[in-house]
Amino acid sequence: MRLLNLLTAIYLLLTLGALVLGGFFIYLKLESEIEFEVGNELKDQIDAYAARIQSGVDPKDLENEKLEIQNLPFHFDEEELVIRDTMAYHEPVNRIEKQLKASKSLKINGKHYRISYFNLVIEADDIMETVVYIMLLVLLVQLLVIGFFFRRIANRILLPFQNTLNRIQSFSFQKDEPLSFEKSKIREFNQLNSFLERMSIKLLRDYRQIKEFSENISHEIQTPSAVVRGKLEHLMNQEITEEQAHLIHSAYQSNEKIQRIVKSLSLLAKLENEEFEAPVPIKLDLLIRRNLEHLHELMQLRQIRLEIDLKSDYSVPMHPYIAEVMVTNLLSNAIKHNQERGWIMVLLQNDKLEILNSGQRLSKNPEDLMDRFQKESSHPDSVGLGLAIVHQICKTYGFQFSYSHKDQVHHTAVSFR
Amino acid sequence: MMKILLVEDNPELTQNILQYLTQEGILCETATTCYEAEDRLLAFAYDCVLLDLMLPDGNGLDLLQLIKSQGMKTSVLIISAKDALDDRLRGLDLGADDYLPKPFHLAELLARLRAIYRRSKLEGSDELRFGEILIRIQSLEAFVHDKALDLTKKEFDLLVFLMVNKNKVLSKQSIATHLWGDYTDDLANFDFVYQHIKNLRKKICAAGGKDYLSTVYGLGYKFDENAS
Repeated sequence: MRLLNLLTAIYLLLTLGALVLGGFFIYLKLESEIEFEVGNELKDQIDAYAARIQSGVDPKDLENEKLEIQNLPFHFDEEELVIRDTMAYHEPVNRIEKQLKASKSLKINGKHYRISYFNLVIEADDIMETVVYIMLLVLLVQLLVIGFFFRRIANRILLPFQNTLNRIQSFSFQKDEPLSFEKSKIREFNQLNSFLERMSIKLLRDYRQIKEFSENISHEIQTPSAVVRGKLEHLMNQEITEEQAHLIHSAYQSNEKIQRIVKSLSLLAKLENEEFEAPVPIKLDLLIRRNLEHLHELMQLRQIRLEIDLKSDYSVPMHPYIAEVMVTNLLSNAIKHNQERGWIMVLLQNDKLEILNSGQRLSKNPEDLMDRFQKESSHPDSVGLGLAIVHQICKTYGFQFSYSHKDQVHHTAVSFR
Repeated sequence: MMKILLVEDNPELTQNILQYLTQEGILCETATTCYEAEDRLLAFAYDCVLLDLMLPDGNGLDLLQLIKSQGMKTSVLIISAKDALDDRLRGLDLGADDYLPKPFHLAELLARLRAIYRRSKLEGSDELRFGEILIRIQSLEAFVHDKALDLTKKEFDLLVFLMVNKNKVLSKQSIATHLWGDYTDDLANFDFVYQHIKNLRKKICAAGGKDYLSTVYGLGYKFDENAS
């Protein structure tokens, strides 16, 4: 939901609430005001009639449908003015209507009269109708105001916010530029913007540090590890016993493994940090053919039959080095985890690359093998990062990667869109 | 005799390289900083400079620029742990002859160094001889008793690698890395190296060559002059 729409909706809702509540109070107030005014009027009328009786007019002559005069025993106390609702016949409309009746007793010229005077009051329904009518009118005006002015003004007020949003969305670590905003007249927006500016500067700094760290860590580990390798290679060339050879061998193997892990992890880190931008269109069929040529002898050695069907001349925008790593990993994976006299099928159609190969039955869920350090146990020296790297490459470029197996057939697929 | 300058600030690594190359009869001098290296380069002539890029007092690329701008007749082999691609490309753009990312196998370093040397100094006469085996590198030909061997590209590469590093134990990993590159070096654990070696040995023996190849306690392989 857009912020502006939410604001409009809330504003409307509040207005509606205020109108209903206001209408209710206006209704109450109107009603009591009318009763008060009518009451006053009735009292004046009674006083006027009393004055006329006093001046000698016969009460009987005065009586009409609105006026009622009763004689009361003289010794009764004078009654105060009483006003109450009553239902009475109303001649003009010829029916019983709600009327207001005021009555008061007075002792005039030695006689005691109770003078009651009726008057028609405006009905609640009528008041309600008027109130609702007026309120609806007000609401309509409000709607027009909101539609034309409020939204336009709010849009203008929110414009710096919208600008800020756009800037944030176009923020990229590769551009290496902190966010910067124009000064706004609104203090809160300036606070937000300056916070974002500081934040982006810090983010970029942290990002650079992580990047340097991932570069340095590979350097810092690989240097001593390279020293170890060199020493072991020297040791290999000394006069050694078979027992020593085994010790050297296992130390050497472990050291090699460390180097492979560090290399792969630093590649993964670089992919995650999206350090490989500037993609160029890669001709996949050419890349695959070149790699297959490179790995050709490996397949011959294991007598693996190769079938290829590279139909498409599809180009994928990728960093050339990453494309190379992806294809190499996929193909050498298919060779490594194959069997003697097995087969590999490489299919490239439109925007989908599929590699099928024979191989041992998996004990693990194939999806798990995409995770880091997950591998089939039959090759203890394999690091288990190959598929994780392909997986990460696909994630980085937004490709679909899947890996499954069925009846000793392994199936990897990358769909480039 | 080949004379090189090794510019590297890590003393252990320097020692490893020094020992390996000296055994091969390569005259090796060292420098640990850009400053020191500059001094030596201006004073002496070298066939090749092994250049680390991350040096305590600067970037090795500046040194490379100096070599090129002064028109020095020395080849440059960059050895760097910064396997950042840009550095690789920039180094080669600036005129480096080769780029070997750290960590490398000493055997690989020697092979690259020999290759550079052959290209730059021994123009044309790119022959390697080892007893009855003769290799012409440019034309990818191998002979045993003057009889041509029918080798695949990889087998040929392997033979050159073994011959350059003769009498040394070569680990399976260093062979795998040499043949298939960086990201496939765990192929070493899948017996591919063994099968290549086996095929190569078969072909040499079939042509009447001596079996120089020996296995060293499962550590690796050796092309042994004194093989029985």
